[in-house]
Amino acid sequence: MAHRKLTLKEKYQLMTRGLDWETTYQPMDKVFPYDQYEGIKIKNWDKWEDPFRLTMDAYWKYQAEKERKLYAILDSFSQNNGQLNLSDARYLTALKIWMQGITPAEYNSHRGFCMVGRQFRGAGARVACQMQALDELRHAQTQMHAFSQYNKHFGGFHQAMHMRDRAWYLSIPKSYFEDAMTAGPFEFVTAISFSFEYVLTNLLFMPFVSGAAYNGDMATTTFGFSAQSDESRHMTLGLEVVKFILEQHEDNVPIMQRYIDKWFWRGYRLLALVGTMMDYMLPKKVMSWAEAWGIYWEENGMALFHDLERYGIKPPKYHEIATLEKNHITHQAWTVFYTACPATAFHAWLPQPYELDWLSEKYGETFERYYRPRFAQFAELERAGERFYTNRLPLVCQTCQVPVFFTEVNNPMRQSVRQLDWQGMKFNFCSDGCKDIFAHEPEKFCQAYIPPQQIYQGNAGGARNLQEYAAWLKCEFGKDSGEYYTSEDYARWKQWHGGKDTTPSSAAA
Amino acid sequence: MSFRLTIEPSGEVVEVAPAQSLLDACLRAGVYLPYACHHGLCGTCKVQVLEGEVEHQASSAFALMDIEREEGKCLACVTTLRSDCVVEADVECDPDAQNLAICDLVGRVVRLADLSPTVKGIWLELPPPGLAFQAGQYVNLRVPGVVGARAFSIASAPSSACVLEFNVRKVAGGAATQYLHEQLRCGDELTLSGPLGRFFVRTSATLPMLFLAGGSGVSSPKAMLLDLLEHAWPGPLTLVYGARTPAELYDHARFESLAVQHPNFRYVAVVNEADEYWQGPTGLVHEAADEVFARRYADHKAYVCGPPAMVEACLRSLMQGRLFEQDIYTEKFLSAADATHAQARSPLFRRL
Repeated sequence: MAHRKLTLKEKYQLMTRGLDWETTYQPMDKVFPYDQYEGIKIKNWDKWEDPFRLTMDAYWKYQAEKERKLYAILDSFSQNNGQLNLSDARYLTALKIWMQGITPAEYNSHRGFCMVGRQFRGAGARVACQMQALDELRHAQTQMHAFSQYNKHFGGFHQAMHMRDRAWYLSIPKSYFEDAMTAGPFEFVTAISFSFEYVLTNLLFMPFVSGAAYNGDMATTTFGFSAQSDESRHMTLGLEVVKFILEQHEDNVPIMQRYIDKWFWRGYRLLALVGTMMDYMLPKKVMSWAEAWGIYWEENGMALFHDLERYGIKPPKYHEIATLEKNHITHQAWTVFYTACPATAFHAWLPQPYELDWLSEKYGETFERYYRPRFAQFAELERAGERFYTNRLPLVCQTCQVPVFFTEVNNPMRQSVRQLDWQGMKFNFCSDGCKDIFAHEPEKFCQAYIPPQQIYQGNAGGARNLQEYAAWLKCEFGKDSGEYYTSEDYARWKQWHGGKDTTPSSAAA
Repeated sequence: MSFRLTIEPSGEVVEVAPAQSLLDACLRAGVYLPYACHHGLCGTCKVQVLEGEVEHQASSAFALMDIEREEGKCLACVTTLRSDCVVEADVECDPDAQNLAICDLVGRVVRLADLSPTVKGIWLELPPPGLAFQAGQYVNLRVPGVVGARAFSIASAPSSACVLEFNVRKVAGGAATQYLHEQLRCGDELTLSGPLGRFFVRTSATLPMLFLAGGSGVSSPKAMLLDLLEHAWPGPLTLVYGARTPAELYDHARFESLAVQHPNFRYVAVVNEADEYWQGPTGLVHEAADEVFARRYADHKAYVCGPPAMVEACLRSLMQGRLFEQDIYTEKFLSAADATHAQARSPLFRRL
């Protein structure tokens, strides 16, 4: 065996290992001050399996070529007025929420990986995090560029970063990433690399990219292709991270279980936005939220947790609740978007007749009994010229920051609200999952920036009502927010189509 | 017509049909390459072509860059061959693999014995020089009147190259095992091809070895142990062997006497249902192992062989006892019924 060729793994190890050193001027614990306080024990960083095995030289070359191709297509997309090929301009609400909520999250993910890329004692893990930090920065940037053509013609795209820090519905993804970034480095990689990039990624990426393809959005579809080879590396990192931590020390198992429980539930709550997009914002439907949950969580997710049980890891706490809720949450969320859209940077509307039928087909009795009558009632009001908008600020969950509009799993007529007293203050939650997360770290979550409370305290530019709040978001009613069918977006879309309404009449692409 | 694909650095050779993807051919031949999307989009299965010509097919321009195409990279999941090829892939090199050539042979039955109420011992004589194999490997046996080959582990040591022993459990409703149990006679001829599989001992690691065997899954561990003991392997060896009842625990006396002769060999037998004469522990294999090892398995090499539920329970015990994938080897023989009830798997583990 003396002259055997080296494996790729051995070649990469020879090239990259041993470049690190034990510090002597300062103790290692002072150089890496944050990788021990979480209680995670790493006995041997050399057991880290490099999931990327990429040199910086190769990385630059690949990404440069990828971006040349992406930008060539984006150019041709804008030269050809590619926005005209959309299935319907309603589709853009999905893209606006992506731009305002997810693109800034990609940027925060970049910042988070830069930080943990400094904090791990093991060089392999540091390099992996730095590479992913670069990917995330590119994704934020290329998404903004992919969406920029729409910004020329439609409302809501103009101030994503400004809105990200102010809008009530954007505090949901914002707080998810800020919670992760302010945690220890091991919790951050579990939250982002494992829970987000591995466990939940299909539920996020598939609806967006397939949704773009089904609805004629070539710019976003092409972005999706350009990101997919990065995402596969991120998923691999997610799996390596949990295996590495779990195999290093048995004391890590209960800590990882808590991280997995927490970040599953936080991620699941965040995905309510995505599910609503699938069921309500995409004019051409890919699949329903309930179907996606069935495939990507109940089948694939549970297969993963069946394998993780070998390490003594149990499926995340409250995952059964998430499955029981799958037929309800999107209808509840869209009701809130429909009624609260003047205080957002997107438009909402009532599902069209073909969509009501599609929802009945996908959700059967649940939709027929609880949600279709609600939309019928709203339609009645619209016909009477009294399109309903809510006029009040919602009670928001202290943990996930979603307004408490979800219902009890055993009673869809009863709102699910939990409370907890801590240091003389009363805190509200949407679920037991969110309440448990708070109860474990009350000192952290009591500081959460809750938009309605900030408005009441006068911290939203002094806004005294929803109109003033929308102005502080830099959102103009009818232009950026409010009902779609009376919006400038719709008027322009109709004008481009010779004054005809082009709302599709079927869900099929 | 098909092409020959050589995979470096392991040197394994795989036949690839003209319209077949590299990945498909490798996975079917038991050569694991990393992959994910399976349709040319993610780039996980990228390999380097060293010799020969390939067709990139539907490889995405984003997943396989022009510069990479010029460097001779390709995506195994969609790429097809236009000639014999040599590729370099991200495969593990196993220093203990002898990569022995696969032969097709005809053997003659020289002995039959009922080892237990459900297990038949079959001894096949092969023409000289016999079959070179690594202890623990299996062969594909063709059974008269049964479509397709069936896999059976060789239960004897490689030192006996011309007479191979097989221990065949009778599978309810299984045509092949029914034939072997009821109709096979001494003097009959059977066609086999092998050796196959990567279930063999990793002596290069020089770690204490633990064998966990359930029912007729003891075949491979038996061959491995006999081989190690013949070669006076000096390290500690433990066999935990379980069966449903004492009557099913065939070769029990043989293992007991081996344990007496070899102080480095520890033998633990366990049954689910004891009879009035049974003196040993009752329960399942992983429970007996947990008892013996006090749930601490670190710094061993473990070899697990048996029915799927037994293997899964053992994997959980081993991993919760701090022994992980790189030190665990399994052979799973799935009957048609097992395969139908198989639990969906994730990519968390490569081999297990």
